[in-house]
Amino acid sequence: MASVAARSFVFRQQMNTRRFDFASCLKIKSFYSSYSANPKEKSPENYTQYHEVSSDNWKFVERLKPPTVVPSFPKNGSCFSDWTPPPDTPPNLPYFVKRTKNFMVPVYLNFEAVRNQRKITMVKHIEGDIWALEKAIKSHLEEVTKRQVVSQVHEVAMYIKFRGDYVLHVKKWLLNAGF
Amino acid sequence: MATKIINKTVTELSLRITRCFFVPSKTIQTNATLFQERLETSITNVEEQLPTTIRPPLPIIHSRKLAFPPKFKAPRQVWVSNMDTVEEEKLGLIDLHPEVFAERPRVDIIHENVRWQQLYRHVSYANTKMRYEVRGGGKKPRQQKGSGRSRHGSIRSPIWRGGGIVHGPRSPTPYFYMLGFNTRLNGLRSTLSAKLAQDDLHIVDSLDIPTDDPSYLEKLVEERGWGPAVLFVDDNDIMPLNITAASDSHGHYNLMPVYGLNVYSMLKHHTLVLTLAAVERLEERLLFHLNRNDAASAGQKYRLDSV
Repeated sequence: MASVAARSFVFRQQMNTRRFDFASCLKIKSFYSSYSANPKEKSPENYTQYHEVSSDNWKFVERLKPPTVVPSFPKNGSCFSDWTPPPDTPPNLPYFVKRTKNFMVPVYLNFEAVRNQRKITMVKHIEGDIWALEKAIKSHLEEVTKRQVVSQVHEVAMYIKFRGDYVLHVKKWLLNAGF
Repeated sequence: MATKIINKTVTELSLRITRCFFVPSKTIQTNATLFQERLETSITNVEEQLPTTIRPPLPIIHSRKLAFPPKFKAPRQVWVSNMDTVEEEKLGLIDLHPEVFAERPRVDIIHENVRWQQLYRHVSYANTKMRYEVRGGGKKPRQQKGSGRSRHGSIRSPIWRGGGIVHGPRSPTPYFYMLGFNTRLNGLRSTLSAKLAQDDLHIVDSLDIPTDDPSYLEKLVEERGWGPAVLFVDDNDIMPLNITAASDSHGHYNLMPVYGLNVYSMLKHHTLVLTLAAVERLEERLLFHLNRNDAASAGQKYRLDSV
């Protein structure tokens, strides 16, 4: 199924006194849209010089590129940040909070679009008894902040929201719980 | 029977997959020659249409390495069946990654995916004429003042009977939108998990069947209790000749490559049959997408609000 190369015929009118010859005035413009329409490759002398570099040098390019998939964290050594690696064994609780793909604790601060912007603390990636987890975190937050905490439990999407900015408290609680 | 397989040509078959170009390859020759060999050696009984298959000692498939091994979730174990005989023969047991096949099915996400698949290519051709498109109405009907009647500029204004419609449908109206990357990803995970949980997911070693007779597939599906509609999924988009011919006359037996797998098709067919190669590819792709950080760039080309 060879595709035909597109051609356009351009008439070039001669200004001088030469006879108007059909063949001489035609300029065929070729658009090389197919393999067979392209001119054949000539011998190397007709082209600019090049020299091949060792393919081992590709590693210098590769190390500049960001990794496509999240790499695993180093097992040994401490981090200068507050980050702690996820534990090897899960805690003995009726619920589980999975780390994100970047091994972070899944607690986020959202802002609700109301008149006076409302801060919402959201806990995601929950598995198991979500109500028990909500009760546990809520009681801890009420103990720490000494005020009533309003919460929302979404059983389908499996997340909990607390009205207020308790991100650090919740993260600390989850890390202490062993998630 | 053997000659029937060899002599059938592409023109006689309307292949289900649009991109599937039949290449007369080793597959048919080996099927045909094997079949001939078995015919000569087997008992010449009229009722015995199909020969007994020769198999190495079972289990053939007994282990599978999972990418991104799950930490605290147990992999789901599934039987691997055959397609060579009508009766089901279990060839082995394999592990399926729980993050792909054992996710909590999100019905709302599945619904979103189905809605998107139906709507994104929908174009509404309904059309109504506006006041400037309705024939006539260029002239002022009567003088502004003096007649005692209400003032008008055109007989085709929207308040007039027969006038233009103000906010009516305008053809063609596209309803294209792109569902979020993670919503589509989780749709696939939820549907696969639901299929597995509801016993509607089966794994087979390959889609090679011994004959191109459509009744073979009917008997097979009936015998194994697979649903009326079955979706066969393989890694390659060029399917073996026999199953292509057998499923061609049936609208409810469909063949699909892994890259065409979608939530709507999985829900439309009662049973989903994946080959081992399809499972490998599917898991590798879905787990890659689950563990990548540049998913936002994947949806960049579909953004309608940016250049």
